[in-house]
Amino acid sequence: MKDFMKHNGILILIVAVLLAAITFVCSLFAGTDPLSNAVGVLTTPFRSGLNTVAGWVDDVNGYLFDYDTLKTENEALKQQVADLEEQARAGEDASEENTRLRELLNLREKHSSFDLESAMVTARSTSNWSSTLTISAGSDYGVEVDQCVIDEYGNLVGIVSEVGTNWATVNTVIDTYTELGGSIARTNSAAIIEGDFTLMQQGKLKLSYLPEDTQIISGDQILTSGKGGVYPSGLVVGSVEEILDDASNLNRYAVIAPSADLDHLVQVFVIKDFDIVS
Amino acid sequence: MTSPDFFRKWTAYALALIAVLCLECFIMNRLPVWGVTPRLLPLAAVIVAVLEGPLSGAGFGLAVGILADAVYPGLAGGMTLILTFLGLGMGLLCRYFLHQNYLGCLICSILAFFTIDLIRIMFDLLTHVASLSTLCFLAFRELSWSLVFTVPLYWLFRAIHRRISRSANL
Repeated sequence: MKDFMKHNGILILIVAVLLAAITFVCSLFAGTDPLSNAVGVLTTPFRSGLNTVAGWVDDVNGYLFDYDTLKTENEALKQQVADLEEQARAGEDASEENTRLRELLNLREKHSSFDLESAMVTARSTSNWSSTLTISAGSDYGVEVDQCVIDEYGNLVGIVSEVGTNWATVNTVIDTYTELGGSIARTNSAAIIEGDFTLMQQGKLKLSYLPEDTQIISGDQILTSGKGGVYPSGLVVGSVEEILDDASNLNRYAVIAPSADLDHLVQVFVIKDFDIVS
Repeated sequence: MTSPDFFRKWTAYALALIAVLCLECFIMNRLPVWGVTPRLLPLAAVIVAVLEGPLSGAGFGLAVGILADAVYPGLAGGMTLILTFLGLGMGLLCRYFLHQNYLGCLICSILAFFTIDLIRIMFDLLTHVASLSTLCFLAFRELSWSLVFTVPLYWLFRAIHRRISRSANL
């Protein structure tokens, strides 16, 4: 064994240590290591194709085996559309009144505009210890680390964590590294949206550091607060499922079910820049 | 073994590794069992180390480690180092203390996962990601589900090993 190590083993170990060190240093200073970038660049078209096929199989599977569920869901959605149309009609009057009053008080009109980059989801998490997505847009398209990613309905999907030439890795909202300012839409109370390891396994996240007097109920919608200016405000994160006490029994936290359907995402949008007046 | 046989064998191993990678990254990650998906790349590295011995095991571990660092998120060189050491270690273990059979492969796979998960758990405990019991439970589920795949993977790599060794001896 000693001879073997002397003649061959040491050389391989030195190569491994050097390669690991180079990869680590590159990822530390350049954001992504050259090897991951090369693999990402080469496999992105292949991943996109394979993901399309897998998506089609999922659709066929859904049609064949979940037909009754889809039919019931469709009926419920039709009813929901009718209710929302009625609400929209009622809201038009209020909106016109709001515009008149804003003009009267000389206030700037509320608006939010996003500079979006469309991307396809090319791969899903390959690890049980984190929740990530790989998308088909990278530095070539102006994507940068810490930009928000949303779905077609404006629900927050996650935050860009690593960027390659034509790909990027997104830490989803349920990942343990997620931590951003949030607010309860109904009361406008501020809190912290964060990933939790145990909840991540169930596809959920939590809203913690709730102020003592906060009124929060099941079903409350949670939005990004935009405090600090890093992330835009008003992105829908999810809705409250239950409110629990933490291990010390002194503080409460809410379990949030994300609004974005993280398991079936096909297309997403990266918010490259934003301008919000509220 | 002649140079063409050597080349044929390692090309076959590389193709098998690509198939394993596709299975892990595109199929199995859509079908979680008990909330986890299996980790097949470390298994491939261990199985080849068991069949081929420490030197080839370390070399193959190095290649699989580089691949794992490229496809698993946020490891930054860690798997390159770990899988090279595991390839070398499991190759030596099987050559001097265990047998180069399925049982040896199973024991080596358990040890390899134990090492990888121990490092992961220590890192996560240091960064206060979750409690020890939560992390251990996840590691246990991941190990259990991954070990199921030792059967088809051992069969696949042993078939390559035997077929090319036999044709080289003829």
